[in-house]
Amino acid sequence: MCFQYVMMNLYEAQHHGEEHFYDFHVVYSASYKVPVLYFRAYCSDGQPLVLDEIEKDIPVNSAQLLARSKWTFITQEEHPKLNRPWYTLHPCGTSEWMKLLLCKEDAVPVAQCKIIPVEKYLVSWFSVVGQVFSLKIPFEMLLDNSLLLHHNIQ
Amino acid sequence: MVDQVKESILQFAPFQSAVDEGFWHRLSSLKLNKLGIDEAPIPITGFFAPCSHHQVSNHLTLLAESLPPESSEQSSTPAISRGNRNRCPVPGILYNTNTLEGFHALDKQSLLRAEAKKIWEDINSGKVEEDSSVLLRFLVISFADLKKWSFHYWFAFPALIFDPPATVVDLKPAAQWFSLEEAESLKAACNDWRNMCSTTDVPFFLVSIASNSAVTIRHLADFEACQRDGHKVLFGFYDPCHLPNNPGWPLRNLLSFIFKRFGNQKVQFLCYRENRGFADLELSLVGEAAISNSQEWINNQNMPNAVGWELNNRGRKVSRCISLAKTMDPTRLATAAADLNLKLMRWRALPSLNLNVLSSTRCLLLGAGTLGCQVARMLMAWGVRKITLLDSGKVSMSNPLRQSLYTLDDCLNGGELKATAAVRSLSRIFPAVEAEAVIMAIPMPGHPATSQEENSVLEDCKHLHDLIDSHDAIFLLTDTRESRWLPSLLCANANKVTITAALGFDSFLVMRHGAGPMNPSHEIKVQKDLPAEIETLSIKDELRQRLGCYFCNDVVAPIDSTSNRTLDQQCTVTRPGLAPIASSLAVELLVGILHHPSGIFAKAEFANSIEASSSEQPLGILPHQVRGSLSQFSQMLLVGHASSSCTACSSIVVSEYRKRGLEFILEAINHPTYLEDITGLTELKKSAGSFELDWDDEDDDDEFLEI
Repeated sequence: MCFQYVMMNLYEAQHHGEEHFYDFHVVYSASYKVPVLYFRAYCSDGQPLVLDEIEKDIPVNSAQLLARSKWTFITQEEHPKLNRPWYTLHPCGTSEWMKLLLCKEDAVPVAQCKIIPVEKYLVSWFSVVGQVFSLKIPFEMLLDNSLLLHHNIQ
Repeated sequence: MVDQVKESILQFAPFQSAVDEGFWHRLSSLKLNKLGIDEAPIPITGFFAPCSHHQVSNHLTLLAESLPPESSEQSSTPAISRGNRNRCPVPGILYNTNTLEGFHALDKQSLLRAEAKKIWEDINSGKVEEDSSVLLRFLVISFADLKKWSFHYWFAFPALIFDPPATVVDLKPAAQWFSLEEAESLKAACNDWRNMCSTTDVPFFLVSIASNSAVTIRHLADFEACQRDGHKVLFGFYDPCHLPNNPGWPLRNLLSFIFKRFGNQKVQFLCYRENRGFADLELSLVGEAAISNSQEWINNQNMPNAVGWELNNRGRKVSRCISLAKTMDPTRLATAAADLNLKLMRWRALPSLNLNVLSSTRCLLLGAGTLGCQVARMLMAWGVRKITLLDSGKVSMSNPLRQSLYTLDDCLNGGELKATAAVRSLSRIFPAVEAEAVIMAIPMPGHPATSQEENSVLEDCKHLHDLIDSHDAIFLLTDTRESRWLPSLLCANANKVTITAALGFDSFLVMRHGAGPMNPSHEIKVQKDLPAEIETLSIKDELRQRLGCYFCNDVVAPIDSTSNRTLDQQCTVTRPGLAPIASSLAVELLVGILHHPSGIFAKAEFANSIEASSSEQPLGILPHQVRGSLSQFSQMLLVGHASSSCTACSSIVVSEYRKRGLEFILEAINHPTYLEDITGLTELKKSAGSFELDWDDEDDDDEFLEI
């Protein structure tokens, strides 16, 4: 699943009018068995941004969260299809916090949680990782799974 | 009828280019594998889509797929691939030069005219009605510097110009122009057009409005048919631009086509823009353009002038340049991966890991054998980048098995010099390492120098002194005891972090030397207002705290250990597993020292000590000595304090060296008992058993010392 998002670096926008472009891919990790958010950033002429510059773009709260959090942080991995280095939100904590998110009733052991449909899993997953970049899913999408079928899920 | 109102010139928002990194990767690969120095123009395909956000325009994008496939067989599929709703294919051409000079020397005027001519011819021949995307034909010039991984490029979007320019009669959001019924019908028609594979990538179309407000979308070729039906017709196009007061670039050539082909002097157009995949009639614009050129323009076979070179991000009419070294240069990729690996360790497990100190610590390895090779590799794994290897030997046939930097090739033709081969090997493993080789033998006591050799021995001593001075951490990894003497002395003199690793047959010793004797200890340093006398007096106390070096535990000065010994004692024969273990511990010990707040002055720590349990040291304890036994699969942590009679690091010896320098060294090398005499060890041996040593003597098995 791929989509392109244009991030206006607000500081830069006011002073230099520079636009930063972010591409996001959601890729399934066979080893961690979870979806992983791959992303890269570049300027309008194609010059890639480095991690330091990206960190200036993401909202201050999430920058702090990433610095402190043990659930997720940014690393660089080889994109499995494009074979170039992309940045990712490291997936080692994903299954932990997804369990917390989806199986809320403490009385129910994890193993007994209902099988979650892929669409609902992805939307829930995205509602968490999207926060790093202040990406929001339209509320309607959270209610209506059929809207997801518009996108090509690779 | 003369128009009273002065109308403003129709101003078009320029097309913007966007080149995906994948395009450059593919072009590089194409250039290297197939094209070589061939500079023939390459047909490419650009992709664009209607604007989908009210704040951001869309671009004409080049992707990896924009270049023709690399397969050698001529495929029957057309050069332009079918697109999808997000990718409208547009034909273009790429002129890629072999040199930067060639790039700048291209005749941009004539290249632009050549492409504009193709558009003009397509308008005249009727090709536009078959495939309207040819109206958006574009041109790119580029130079790919495949050594520096930088790319210079420049786009041109040729547009035929009207002279005088077209003016805008009206321009407003589409929602304000259509009636409510028409708007609903239009939205439905657009969505159908966008949903069908056969039409979704057709960027120019007609909006035909019937008298009953029913709207249909038709191909450009159907214009005359629509006119016959008496419908109101708007010329529609996918507009990449988001601006509320300007139509996008595609309108330019569309107007030229309409005027040339149908002769309309007033053209109503729809700038089609979307939001979330559906027609957005607030964002989309409907306008009317007035073209005041005469009939001559239509009849004239000569091509009008063209413009279209893209401005760069600062608004200047120059080419652009980007550097992709970070993602394409293999050395940079390796460095970035290594750094990220270490950072991962810091994030996940060791937040206090100091990567800067590791990458800036200059390490000197004395010995490039089993220990030297392993230590070097381990250091690189920890992010150490500056490594100097010193060894006078050559790689021999038995070495590659145990000395992990060498292969058979290094043994041939008499054998490569070890230090050189090691440095080469390190660079092959990690190109960003800054490794240096020093070919030199270490002068040793008990191996006297002849008068001819004296000068070169003195030079070697000086050289070693300078090397130790210019590095931050020294590893003593040689294979004899006496070769460790001079380095130990020099390190004590310079107060450098020193790590010794020594191997027996199935046992090893890894230890860190204590601080040198001439510096006040860490604790005393803090008390700044102490008068000088008290400082010198307290050196004796300070000795109690100063940790020992390799020789402190000896009662015998280092002498010739190689002669009069059997073969298995002359060359160190060890169990193969020993060297990697000892080397790894040696490097981990260094990392511990570098992270310890007291550094070289750190006290010896033990697993169950009070210090360890309250320690903020996330790397764990920092012992003084580790002695291990493979036969027992065991390891002991020991401490040995500095000896005031040590032949290498006692204040007597170090101050002699400071006073007399190389002369002192020479005497120690040439006279076997000299060191014992001046340190009082000779006396000590004479009165063995009848004195108190103020050492902290732990379980010291002698068998560990015979190395």
